[in-house]
Amino acid sequence: MTKITGAKVVIETLIQENVEVIFGYPGGAVLPIYDEIFKQKKIRHILVRHEQAAVHAAEGYARSTGKVGVVLVTSGPGATNTVTGLTDAMMDSIPIVCITGQVPTHMIGNDAFQEADIVGITRPCTKHNYLVKDVTKLAGVIHSAFNICINGRPGPVLVDIPKDIQTFKTVYKGKKAYKDNRYYKPKVKPDDEKINEIVKLMTESSKPIFYVGGGVINSGTKASKELFKLIKKTSFPCTQTLMGLGAFPTSDNQFIGMLGMHGTYEANHSMHKSDLLLCVGARFDDRITGKVSGFSPKSKKVHMDIDPSSFNKSVNVDVMVQGDLYRILSAINNRIEEKKIIFSKNKIKKWWIQIDKWRSRNCLRYKNSKEIIKPQFALERLNKLTEKLNPFITTEVGQHQMWAAQFLSFNKPKHWMTSGGLGTMGYGLPAAMGVQIAHPKELVIDVAGEASILMNIQEMSTIKQYKLPVKIFILNNHYMGMVKQWQELLHGNRLSESYMESLPDFVKLAESFGASGIQVLKPNDLDEAINEMISIKGPVICDVVVDPNENCFPMIPSGSTHDQMLLGPNDKVDGEISEEGMILV
Amino acid sequence: MSNLINTKHILSIMVDNEPGVLARVVGLFSGRGYNIESLSVSEVDSDKFLSRVTIVTSGTKIIVDQIKAQLKKLIPVHDLIDITELDSFIGKELILIKLNVKSITKKGFEDVIHKTKTNILFDKGNEVIIQFSGSPSEIRSLLNKLKPFKIIEQTRSGLVSMALGTKYIKK
Ligand SMILES: Cc1cc2nc3c(=O)[nH]c(=O)nc-3n(C[C@H](O)[C@H](O)[C@H](O)COP(=O)(O)OP(=O)(O)OC[C@H]3O[C@@H](n4cnc5c(N)ncnc54)[C@H](O)[C@@H]3O)c2cc1C
Ligand SMILES: Cc1ncc(C[n+]2csc(CCOP(=O)(O)OP(=O)(O)O)c2C)c(N)n1
Ligand SMILES: [Mg+2]
Repeated sequence: MTKITGAKVVIETLIQENVEVIFGYPGGAVLPIYDEIFKQKKIRHILVRHEQAAVHAAEGYARSTGKVGVVLVTSGPGATNTVTGLTDAMMDSIPIVCITGQVPTHMIGNDAFQEADIVGITRPCTKHNYLVKDVTKLAGVIHSAFNICINGRPGPVLVDIPKDIQTFKTVYKGKKAYKDNRYYKPKVKPDDEKINEIVKLMTESSKPIFYVGGGVINSGTKASKELFKLIKKTSFPCTQTLMGLGAFPTSDNQFIGMLGMHGTYEANHSMHKSDLLLCVGARFDDRITGKVSGFSPKSKKVHMDIDPSSFNKSVNVDVMVQGDLYRILSAINNRIEEKKIIFSKNKIKKWWIQIDKWRSRNCLRYKNSKEIIKPQFALERLNKLTEKLNPFITTEVGQHQMWAAQFLSFNKPKHWMTSGGLGTMGYGLPAAMGVQIAHPKELVIDVAGEASILMNIQEMSTIKQYKLPVKIFILNNHYMGMVKQWQELLHGNRLSESYMESLPDFVKLAESFGASGIQVLKPNDLDEAINEMISIKGPVICDVVVDPNENCFPMIPSGSTHDQMLLGPNDKVDGEISEEGMILV
Repeated sequence: MSNLINTKHILSIMVDNEPGVLARVVGLFSGRGYNIESLSVSEVDSDKFLSRVTIVTSGTKIIVDQIKAQLKKLIPVHDLIDITELDSFIGKELILIKLNVKSITKKGFEDVIHKTKTNILFDKGNEVIIQFSGSPSEIRSLLNKLKPFKIIEQTRSGLVSMALGTKYIKK
């Protein structure tokens, strides 16, 4: 067999893994790989403007397609710039393969130019990582990286390739020849007895609730279909986490809203009073549970998850089922059919009456205005005017992110991309680029805050280069709104450093990057602006100047339980927020 | 409630003997705030490049279950057994001790050495180096007996442990 260079091996293995796009940025330690990219036509390279954005773009690409997102960067600063993105992907379970260049093997450890111990640095923020010191192992490592990042609980895998390895020659024997990770076989098929146990609990419950998370999105569209079937068959209510939105259609009447810190009154109260909590691919995050000792105190808890380290991590559960959600949910559906079980609506009638009472509080209501645009109103109009187009939505981090979760509809999985676990400001714009690359004809909107958008604003240049028609919808409140909200609530309204001075003129900024800019100041002009934004073929920044004083409700203050929600600005915290609560993030 | 009691656990872990594997294991403990009371590691299969790590840790049941689940998620980890959960097991440590033994006290010293089946590795002038292997409590008891003598330095291996019976660790 003919020998090829390590750099060529990289490209060959990526082609074998059906990679269509790489998000990257060149530099000295990856020049041989960039040379191979230049010589071929099968893989498209998207040149970002900052390596962090390469990872977020790959995340958007991966989350919206179910495929692996691929990143290529140079050693040293190129590699360290990916750390935030990798940590983000780790927290939100997104499959990424990140290839980094490294100084030549004989110089490793010498503090060589642009050397960074990226394998050491990223050990805790990757699912696994490799330093390749032998060119004959390179192909095996890259194929393993793809296997590991997408199977089991997905996550980022980093492959560090010294420059000499990229130039050494070896034979490439094709994907099938490399199976060095035979033992990485996460359990996907659930145990039969567990399925029986769940079905039994479901038939006995009179106050059940489905608590659905991002795991359903990870498991794929097939899992969403099984979930839909199950929820319809049982008539049980369903709430979803921030990461789960869209796994079950949010316009369906059985959906009772997102749960957690900024979840609905009805979702959180249902969690609190339920007698059977069916956790489907969610991880009992602290944004969900509030004070753990007071979390859903009376329920039997069933946890379905592919990762056993998610079980009993923060909340003790009664039944744990390990497996892939598609397999688990279809097994439950099959068992129900085999046993000809009919779920009686009567049994949960009282439960629904109670839930509807909670619902009638209309907890997301806000006081609209004719003079100033309320951020909630802007999102309601955005939803109304784009819903039919089934847009892909990404967000930055802050109040606007929570309002987007509350006020937009998500009726299909994989259409909602947000940084949940790490809460990375600057995620939304590059993620939207990645989504748009994967879905060139679809409407992609980044719902942004004026502070967050500045964190990766350089990507406007990437958007210009590839003519990506991304729409950036800024809810401009002149504040780091989420920070301000906490300062009002917990720090005596001392707004330390949360005002956004010296903002750019977003219209001119857009124009300078060849995009269109629109500014809206009045509620009456909103619809026209949104319609214009959608009708423009290219990228648009729509700067929506909103009420700076609006806060995001409902809210469960940190350290409180689900039945201690604040519903609006006039609700006061019951007594002082405990010291215990003050120290929580 | 047993959920709140701290108990000691001996974890035996079969891992790929590759660079960085120990950093992954140890980093998991420090990063997540678990404690390591003792650690020992060495290659046990040179054909398959496998090492066996023994870690003594402690925590409530929930914490220890979490430690085990997190360790099993590490890609180079092939198998993990919690030796303390099995019916019976052997756990041994090795200790080397250097002493300064004056001639007057030498008699009492030889007594201790003899009764505890300790090996003398080096004996010249007043300097003696001895080697002992045993369970942590046997080692503690030896150190107690040596209190009257002047210990100059000592070094101990971590615990190595093996279950009795048919529960084998997988390669
Ligand atoms: C400002 C801010 C406010 C927030 N407020 C809220 C809030 O009010 N409410 C809220 O819900 N969140 C909120 N979040 C997000 C929160 O921090 C968490 O990211 C989120 O709750 C986690 O979602 P999840 O439980 O669905 O888990 P994910 O992080 O999506 O984890 C998925 C789980 O599914 C499992 N899994 C993965 N793949 C599979 C598979 N194939 N089969 C089976 N299981 C699988 C994984 O092992 C994991 O346990 C907020 C975030 C920010 C930044
Ligand atoms: C990289 C990063 N730094 C700091 C924070 C802390 N933080 C969370 S929300 C927020 C303010 C976001 O402001 P903006 O983007 O304007 O959104 P708003 O809350 O006003 O809607 C900050 C600073 C963060 N999440 N990410
Ligand atoms: Mg703001």
